[in-house]
Amino acid sequence: MQLSWLIGGAQGLGVDTSANIFGDAVAKSGYYLYGSREYYSNIKGRHSYFTVMIGDKTMNSISENVNILATFDSETVFQHFYQAKDFIIYNKGLETTQIEMVRSMEPEIIMESESMLEKAGLGTTLIDAVNYAQKKGAKPIAIDYVGELDKIINALKISPPIAERAKNIIAISATYALLGLDKKHMLDAVQSRFSKNETFLKLNLMAVDAGFKYASSFYNLKDIDANKAVKRIQADGNTLSAIGKVAGGLRFQSYYPITPASDESTYIEANQILNLNGSQDKGGVVVLQTEDELAAINAAIGAALTGARAATATSGPGFSLMSEGISWAGMNEVPVLISYYMRGAPATGLPTRSGQADLKFALNVGHGEFPRIVIASGSHKEIFGDASWALNLAEKYQTPTIHIMEKTLANAYSILNVNDLNIDSVKIDRGKLETNLEDYKRFKMSDDGISPRAFLGQARMFYTGDEHNAYGHIDESVTNRTDMYKKRLVKLDTADKEIPQEMRLRQFGDQNSETVLLTWGSPSGVIEDTMEDMKKEGISVLAIQVKMFSPYPKELMQKLLAGKKRVIAIENNYNAQGADVLTEKTGIMPTNYILKLNGRPIMREEFIEAMKAIMQKGEKTVILNGGA
Amino acid sequence: MEELKDEEFNDWCPGCGDFGILRSEDVAIKELGLDPNKMVIVSGIGCSGKAPHFVAEKISGVHTLHGRSIAFATGVKLANPDLEVIVEAGDGDTFGIGVGHFVSAGRRNIDMTIMVHDNGVYGLTKGQASPTLKRGEQTKSLPKPNINDPINPIMLALASGYTFVARAFAYDVKQTTELIKAAIKHKGLAFIDILQPCPTYNDINTNEWYRQRVYNIDIDASVKTEEDVQKKMDAAIDLSRQTDKIPIGIFYQNELVPTYEARIKENIPNYPAINPANQKIEGNGVSITSVDSFMKALTI
Repeated sequence: MQLSWLIGGAQGLGVDTSANIFGDAVAKSGYYLYGSREYYSNIKGRHSYFTVMIGDKTMNSISENVNILATFDSETVFQHFYQAKDFIIYNKGLETTQIEMVRSMEPEIIMESESMLEKAGLGTTLIDAVNYAQKKGAKPIAIDYVGELDKIINALKISPPIAERAKNIIAISATYALLGLDKKHMLDAVQSRFSKNETFLKLNLMAVDAGFKYASSFYNLKDIDANKAVKRIQADGNTLSAIGKVAGGLRFQSYYPITPASDESTYIEANQILNLNGSQDKGGVVVLQTEDELAAINAAIGAALTGARAATATSGPGFSLMSEGISWAGMNEVPVLISYYMRGAPATGLPTRSGQADLKFALNVGHGEFPRIVIASGSHKEIFGDASWALNLAEKYQTPTIHIMEKTLANAYSILNVNDLNIDSVKIDRGKLETNLEDYKRFKMSDDGISPRAFLGQARMFYTGDEHNAYGHIDESVTNRTDMYKKRLVKLDTADKEIPQEMRLRQFGDQNSETVLLTWGSPSGVIEDTMEDMKKEGISVLAIQVKMFSPYPKELMQKLLAGKKRVIAIENNYNAQGADVLTEKTGIMPTNYILKLNGRPIMREEFIEAMKAIMQKGEKTVILNGGA
Repeated sequence: MEELKDEEFNDWCPGCGDFGILRSEDVAIKELGLDPNKMVIVSGIGCSGKAPHFVAEKISGVHTLHGRSIAFATGVKLANPDLEVIVEAGDGDTFGIGVGHFVSAGRRNIDMTIMVHDNGVYGLTKGQASPTLKRGEQTKSLPKPNINDPINPIMLALASGYTFVARAFAYDVKQTTELIKAAIKHKGLAFIDILQPCPTYNDINTNEWYRQRVYNIDIDASVKTEEDVQKKMDAAIDLSRQTDKIPIGIFYQNELVPTYEARIKENIPNYPAINPANQKIEGNGVSITSVDSFMKALTI
């Protein structure tokens, strides 16, 4: 069972809140959700929307067609009418609104929508767009928001601006009624959201009633009691990275505000006092908002030298500024974690949209050669586990570690089973530590390249960005240079030997298939979620999601790809950078590509179409362009 | 083969002002009786950046990036507030490439000391003009006279919120020593602008040039009550604008401003006693951090 639902509205008018309340209510009924958020780089007024998938098991992707389209403004109708499959909920008072009157829409979007309407022989008012959806089989539900709000305003004697946001609750309640789930869960969700403000609570509870009048059960969903019995959470990628890091022993985080990374840091700051198992004492994470990303990375490095587990979180522009600091950390063998949230680039790019174009940058960041560990998560569950894994690897191999996530996952939320996160057995491996602090040599030679660490304050030690000897003093002699150069880089060989290659990738699907889908990061979700649908089209594949790009699981990739007829690279960038790394390491080239550059996540329908184009029509490359 | 020893050959130019600073620093640390194991010198890039490798006291050194020493030091100090942290950076380091960190540090008042080796030139890159070289001056290796106005480090520090602002002259070892001691003892962020001849590249601001101009500040720069702030700040600004003579000593000191450590303590009650560097995070290889409260807040 899967349903898709979309709500949109102007940024700043509570679209996120309402999507979260809706999700909360549906989740309380025992369902799993995956909710994907799209928004402009804007505070108030631009179009934002949430696509929520509802299912009986976990999901990691969205579909373009939506069973239910919930709107209360005009732009959401004009941007999404063609996606509505079963229902389109709209504002009755806006029926005559002309598309040209919606000033916040970009001209290309207006033209595309107009052209779709014209081709269907329709005009360009809102009701025409609703009719378009109706022709395609969606049932319109016109809500008299003004009338409903008036009733609430009069009953509660509150001012109209306060009541305004209850529109969202009316919309989501009408859609919730369509699902057929117990109204109690919606009331509970509203109750827990607005419990702190009596007026808001009353207002929104009345809005739930108002919404329910417009619809009755269509899907006849029932509570899934087995799922309700399981301990489950609703969380987005930023939050899961934050908790994963803190669970992994993070005690110092520095950051400079940047979308879509800062929410991670502010979440940690809001929860910076920690309970410790088996102890009455509290722990604490110092969170430092710095003046820029140069300070953010370098303060984190400084903190790491004292023995604290330290990290920063950023996105492309900030990561660019951090590159010199990362080079210093490589030279000085500092375990520092950079949580790298990729967004649309280059430059400011698409600051609130997603992208995967910085993989090679992450792999090559900083001048000079030094080892770095680069991990890329493909789902919310992986983000949680990979965050503490990354902290362990940073300390074990004493080198900068980059944990790549994308905006798609950062801002999307999932319902997860707490048991799947293994929160009670988060491993901590601090690597080699020095116990004999007499005449301490921070960079003592060793076969595996790893010198036991001591921390500032424990012994006398030196760090320098210059080439240095075992003590950390500047030393440019030829022999020392060669030895130290090798020592640093040998650590990557050590990591390559020690980290099981099976942990560095995830494979799923048909092992015997001649076709391999090669991907990394969030596109792995759409592949996994469409496996069954692809089978129905006669397409059976093996999917390989690379999780670690440095050190790369070279031998395992060679083994898995041996004898395969077709390797299709699926990525959110132009050059298929992840596949490029495969070629660089193994000489194996992809045969086909499915790429998406527009900053929106790959959606199920367009992905299946692309697969059909490749498998059945022999297309070499398909560039996807779905989304709004 | 001779065994490697933990000592460095000092490669500063003969007659360099850095020697005066290094000597003062060594004496100050010795006289304060500080535990060298708990001290860290964090330096930037340039001749001054090598200072941690050369100090006689058995102190740890972190020789960082150009302009970023304050940022590194901020992380070191906040993660382990038990450490005594001294930043040593050059004038190009501090007022050129790293000026953003210098200003921002003033907003935090972290309990550490920033010593700037201020010689008016970029020595290691062969003598280009630094942000403190005056307009119209043409030091030895400049192709043309400097067309940039200089930064006034004292006024910049005052404007940025530094709670200890002083100027020293590197060859007055006695006074420089006293100022370093006062700066280290100061509760809050201390800044000393140490005027330092560069005998190789700055043929204008020489030892003799300074000696003819420096004189000791004879005001009481220390803020005792909130009412003092305006008056003492005005006096410090007036002094900082003097150009014919060069006042050295303490311009301004205010220990009434809460340190950043105290501000963190408002949010984390057991800080700085429990800090990022001294927290236990695992037992038997498993994390001891409880995430139950996080999970509870997110539970459906």
